[in-house]
Amino acid sequence: MAETTPDQEAPLLEVRDVAVHFGGVKAVDGISMKLWPGRIYGVLGPNGSGKSTLLGAMTRLTPMTRGAFVFEGQDYTKKHARTIQHMGIARTFQTVRLLEDRTVRDNILLGTDSLGRETRKEAAARVDEVMERLGIQEVERMRPDELSYGMQRRVEFARAIISRPRLLLLDEPTAGMNTSEREEISAIMRQLLEEGVTQFIVEHDVQMMVDTCDYLYAMNFGKLIAEGTPTDVVRDPAVQEAYLGKGAGKHA
Amino acid sequence: MSTWYAMNVVLVQTTLTTLLLALSIQVPLRFGVFSFAGVGAFGIGGYGSAIAMVHLGWSTWPAVAFGAVVAGLVVFLLGLVVQRLTGLYMGMATIAFTLIVSVLAVNGGDLTGGAMGLYGALGEISVLQILLVVLLVVALLHLTELGGMGRRVDAVRDDPELANALGVDVVRYRQFSFLVSGLIGGLAGAITTLLRSTITPAEVNFHLVILALTAIVVGGSRSWVGALIGAVIFVWLPTWIGFLAEWERVAYGVIVAVAAIYLPLGVLGVAKDLWHRFRTREERARVAALAKES
Repeated sequence: MAETTPDQEAPLLEVRDVAVHFGGVKAVDGISMKLWPGRIYGVLGPNGSGKSTLLGAMTRLTPMTRGAFVFEGQDYTKKHARTIQHMGIARTFQTVRLLEDRTVRDNILLGTDSLGRETRKEAAARVDEVMERLGIQEVERMRPDELSYGMQRRVEFARAIISRPRLLLLDEPTAGMNTSEREEISAIMRQLLEEGVTQFIVEHDVQMMVDTCDYLYAMNFGKLIAEGTPTDVVRDPAVQEAYLGKGAGKHA
Repeated sequence: MSTWYAMNVVLVQTTLTTLLLALSIQVPLRFGVFSFAGVGAFGIGGYGSAIAMVHLGWSTWPAVAFGAVVAGLVVFLLGLVVQRLTGLYMGMATIAFTLIVSVLAVNGGDLTGGAMGLYGALGEISVLQILLVVLLVVALLHLTELGGMGRRVDAVRDDPELANALGVDVVRYRQFSFLVSGLIGGLAGAITTLLRSTITPAEVNFHLVILALTAIVVGGSRSWVGALIGAVIFVWLPTWIGFLAEWERVAYGVIVAVAAIYLPLGVLGVAKDLWHRFRTREERARVAALAKES
């Protein structure tokens, strides 16, 4: 199973003592992580634990109080959010954020529109394959508001992967999906991993995380309360307490 | 030429200059910037070209270019100053800019002719020349509506944070929209002024904001086609509903109100929506059937 430091020379992304305080609220309070290439990482935590804020800071959309982010050896803490995509990091959002007046195909292509000519060409050639993989090829000419929520999430997912990011950040990728849809998305994540896309998922659905991730972190009140293999983290008493309150039994 | 053309040549000219004015307001709106600085640019372009002709003795098209470039630069600089404002505040600041242009014109002494305005700037401009200028502007704007550029502009307007996350430089796009708005507004003002040979401070006023905005609201705010539809409607409306006599203004008001309430994306928006529904009728039926099954 996964260990903390595999053989690679440098982590893909290093999170160094990152904190995001909103006034007196410590949404993220001193988080450090090392994400090594070729794995799916997950951050587990109840609502309000600071997971999404951490993702916001990671993509530099949320201002940070302190700390640093280093991607492939490059410190991008002070860089603007728009440069993140160019470095090879793509993300999805917790809520669906698609262009309402654009077709599914257009929304997906938007994922590479500000990248280099080669990437855009490749994306144009690959977009059909990506849509097929996500099961949205049939609706490529439709607009987001004509699709079900689960379909809209798939379009978001497609927009994030069309640029072939080296790191994919997913904010509750299966929220609002039914069990079979979740399994499909989980399978796509594993497949992407084989293609070399390291992933970082923020989610509160424990089962999905255990099934999908190689390595788990658990957060509560802005701090890491546990990390390790999914089974270890889920069994951790602190995690069980955070999720189910004191005296809870094993989570299924 | 035909008698129809001879009778309506002024309306044709006005349609084209109104289209330019409407575009100068529409461009920033397409980038999510609620700016009316295009109307101020109209004034700067008008005065700039008139000054170039009357005081500097320039010929027509260099004077037009001078007016448009000065207007473009001034509005671009204005954009740098007000770029942090959003929504209504941006609207207020840019309307104030337009009023300032008018006040400066009143107090400009011999340079602007004061409250009486500048006279004698009669340019030699044919309808064909205006048409060529408009075609060039529209062709360039059309490029910003196509492909990846069009998608990026839509993202900058509808979800700037998302646009940033996808690598789009939202701030630069919006600064650029000020420059383009100033250039097109300046062009509209310069051509209008040299056609009439005169410009007065009273012409650079709030009524132009209303004209441009109503043309876009009724025609459609997302594409130059909408601005064209709006310009045609509002320039030609008086000739179509002339029989209403004193009720004409009421009809005008009703049209604007109905469009604002029922056609949020204008006539063009409705047309596009119908086309989309027709084009995707099969897919939508399939998706609806799937939803019923589950």
